[in-house]
Amino acid sequence: MVNENLVKDVVKEPYKYGFVTDIETEKIEKGLNEDIIKLISQKKEEPKFLLDFRLKAFKKWQKMKEPDWAALGYKKIDYQDIIYYSAPKQKEKISSLDEVDPKLLETFNKLGIPLTEQKKLTNVAVDAVFDSVSIATTFREELAEHGVIFCSISEAVKNHSDLIEKYLGTVVPASDNYFAALNSAVFSDGSFVYIPKGVTCPMDLSSYFRINSGDSGQFERTLIIAEESSSVSYLEGCTAPMFDTNTLHAAVVELIALDEASIKYSTVQNWYAGDEEGVGGIFNFVTKRGKCLGKRSKISWSQVETGSAITWKYPSCLLLGEESVGEFYSVALTNNLQQADTGTKMIHIGPKTKSTIVSKGISAGNSKNSYRGLVKMGTKATGSRNYSQCDSMLIGDQASANTFPYIKSQQPNSEIEHEASTCRISEDQLFYLQSRGIEFEEAVSMMVSGFCRDVFNQLPMEFAAEADKLLALKLEGSVG
Amino acid sequence: MEIIEKIKTNKSIDNQSEIQKICLDKLQSSPLPNPKSEQWRLSNQSKFSDFLDYSVNEKNPKFDTPFPNTSQSTIRLVIGDNCQINLIKENYAIKQLSEDKLVKYIKEQISCFDQNENWSDLLNLSLNCKKNILGLKISGSEIPSIEIFSHASSNSLNAKTLVIFIEKDCDIDLLQVNLGNDNSSLSQSTFFCLEENSSVNHGVVSYGENKSNLLSSLNIIQQKNSEYNLGSLHFKFNYARFEIRIKQSEGNAKTNIKGMQITKKDEQISTYTKIDFNGPNVFLDQINKSLADDKSHAIFEGSIIVPKIAQRTDASQLSRNLLLSNRAQIDTKPQLEIIADDVKCKHGATISQLNEEELFYMRTRGITLTEASKLQLSSYFQEIISFIPIAKDKWDLLDKLLNEN
Repeated sequence: MVNENLVKDVVKEPYKYGFVTDIETEKIEKGLNEDIIKLISQKKEEPKFLLDFRLKAFKKWQKMKEPDWAALGYKKIDYQDIIYYSAPKQKEKISSLDEVDPKLLETFNKLGIPLTEQKKLTNVAVDAVFDSVSIATTFREELAEHGVIFCSISEAVKNHSDLIEKYLGTVVPASDNYFAALNSAVFSDGSFVYIPKGVTCPMDLSSYFRINSGDSGQFERTLIIAEESSSVSYLEGCTAPMFDTNTLHAAVVELIALDEASIKYSTVQNWYAGDEEGVGGIFNFVTKRGKCLGKRSKISWSQVETGSAITWKYPSCLLLGEESVGEFYSVALTNNLQQADTGTKMIHIGPKTKSTIVSKGISAGNSKNSYRGLVKMGTKATGSRNYSQCDSMLIGDQASANTFPYIKSQQPNSEIEHEASTCRISEDQLFYLQSRGIEFEEAVSMMVSGFCRDVFNQLPMEFAAEADKLLALKLEGSVG
Repeated sequence: MEIIEKIKTNKSIDNQSEIQKICLDKLQSSPLPNPKSEQWRLSNQSKFSDFLDYSVNEKNPKFDTPFPNTSQSTIRLVIGDNCQINLIKENYAIKQLSEDKLVKYIKEQISCFDQNENWSDLLNLSLNCKKNILGLKISGSEIPSIEIFSHASSNSLNAKTLVIFIEKDCDIDLLQVNLGNDNSSLSQSTFFCLEENSSVNHGVVSYGENKSNLLSSLNIIQQKNSEYNLGSLHFKFNYARFEIRIKQSEGNAKTNIKGMQITKKDEQISTYTKIDFNGPNVFLDQINKSLADDKSHAIFEGSIIVPKIAQRTDASQLSRNLLLSNRAQIDTKPQLEIIADDVKCKHGATISQLNEEELFYMRTRGITLTEASKLQLSSYFQEIISFIPIAKDKWDLLDKLLNEN
């Protein structure tokens, strides 16, 4: 049997991104009503169509009920007790990064996010979002040379309002679900990416979301449009400080891929997960959806979910274009009292569409980890194909792992395959590794890393290394 | 409220049995199942109201079985036929359950009912008069096989209940046949209690006619070291719903389930299974097959619940589906809910049509497309049919499935 003392001896590393940046912020009063929405819109100097979009969404949200079908238990959220807009105070316009508040730069440096453009070696363009606003976007000029637009969504609303008006809400309509409606009404910032026809984006794009204040929710909105024959890889990272209260995060991500375009969207989600007793942590309710509109277009989601007290997230693909491809690779790790209900939806509408789902869930401590997925073949999806695989690993006898795949087919000329398995860390393998002189903790992380390899292989390189380390760190002290 | 009114008008309060009263009382609070709940959301509402549309009938007119008469070695019972059975032989005994025991057991079961999940049972028991409830207690060894028939008469809603206690060390083959008549609805609830070391090979064949409807449920409790094998087949129903609930009360038991549903025209047939392990060392092997043709709809939802106590569980669930027409629909949802860590659990699901390569191969060997398809289908059906006790030796189910439309 595994030596329990050994485990207890391991020093638990605290959540290292849990610091709070002491910076003067501009907040509006708590609560949600039409006036607040008008105020947010006014602060962001938005055109009328956007204000109408927000108000319409708000009306719909008021009529909706919070969903309760997920295998999650959490205390009721008081939507009137949240600040819907919070921004670090800074000069009106920033002409160069030197003018950004040094405290903010320092925050992002502490998080390992290079904002200063001297750090070109990393070759990743970053859009950094702090609470409700985007504070900086790097490598703009170089991207502009290729015609790539990469900026915060507020800037896009001002400078490219035609694109926003055309595409915003076309993939995730305001009435899609409770949290999407809430986001549509109050979204503050997020990233906007536009890749013109035939362009392969010269570098990876990345956005980094940071929640800093404890009583404000974060509602960002991301919109990525890939025109014909273009391609882009987009990375997203998130952290938050440690607070005893629960903070709400309800984001919406919309991807649109036209003919032969390809979008790869990778996430490493490491919001604060609450302490061992389940106090604090982020409530993460995210709607992510991609629309493969064009022929032979491709959308690939890869995610590593390690943080948040509650995760409710189903990145999906609508496969409309002929021969379009949807992919979903996910690792979800829950420890202590974390709860995750995550999975994907692959809706095959066009003919000869293909989708692959690989989901790995690891549950430790008293946590709850559920995979919930939908694969649907519509009547016109002839010759379509889906393959799903979801594996769960249980560590300790208090954790739970659930699998809920919904499969629906209306097309005989299509094939769906689904397989799922649940197991625990094999003691034989552990013993073998330990007998070769590998430390217990290291052996466990090696095995977990092997379990997740199918997914890690899909992540961009720098993310894969980070994800591997993150899992090892999160699991420390949980094996016994 | 309609269904409650219907039951009440059919029978005055004074004539209602104790169980009927309890169930009616429970139904008052939710007269119909919640159409948004996971168990009922895919159910075709108009077909379901067809089911409830007929007037309640407690009489049991004679019926012609489409299956040949039994040989002498098989005991044939028809629920509601005033059948009295009290066989006490050297090696075995098949006895009628005393009314007290029957009522006590059913009441115990009702107390654990979930209003929505067990709605079919509540309906069944609130509809049912004493003569349509058959209670048996089986003990001993070398027991002859038993066939039990439930049937519905035309233009009416019939309810039949079966309760069987299988005592220690008992080993039995039992076949249940649910027969639907033209324009009829049958509500069939079955309760089995398998005591230690007992073993049951259970077959359920549900065979309807035009526009027949069926709401059938199986509630099985397995004590330790028992083995329960179920082979089931449902076909030719306008609307049929088959609910299987198995509870291994102390673990250490074995369950094998092989089921199949075949839908054609605009039929809807669904199977819901819930398997609950309440102890360690359990074994489950489940396969469910569906075939949907024309404009029909086949549904499978299976849930396996492995709580912390069920260590060393070995459970597998497979849903295999054939979709033969582009107007037909298949929904399948195998699910696992696991808390114990020392478990081996897996599930799988596939939806496809007949294998084209195999068809092509057979055609290159001079077999026509129709014959080749039949050959493939027969191998698909045979796996399940060969698992249904008694029926497989007597009735040519394969021929019925392949040649009847």
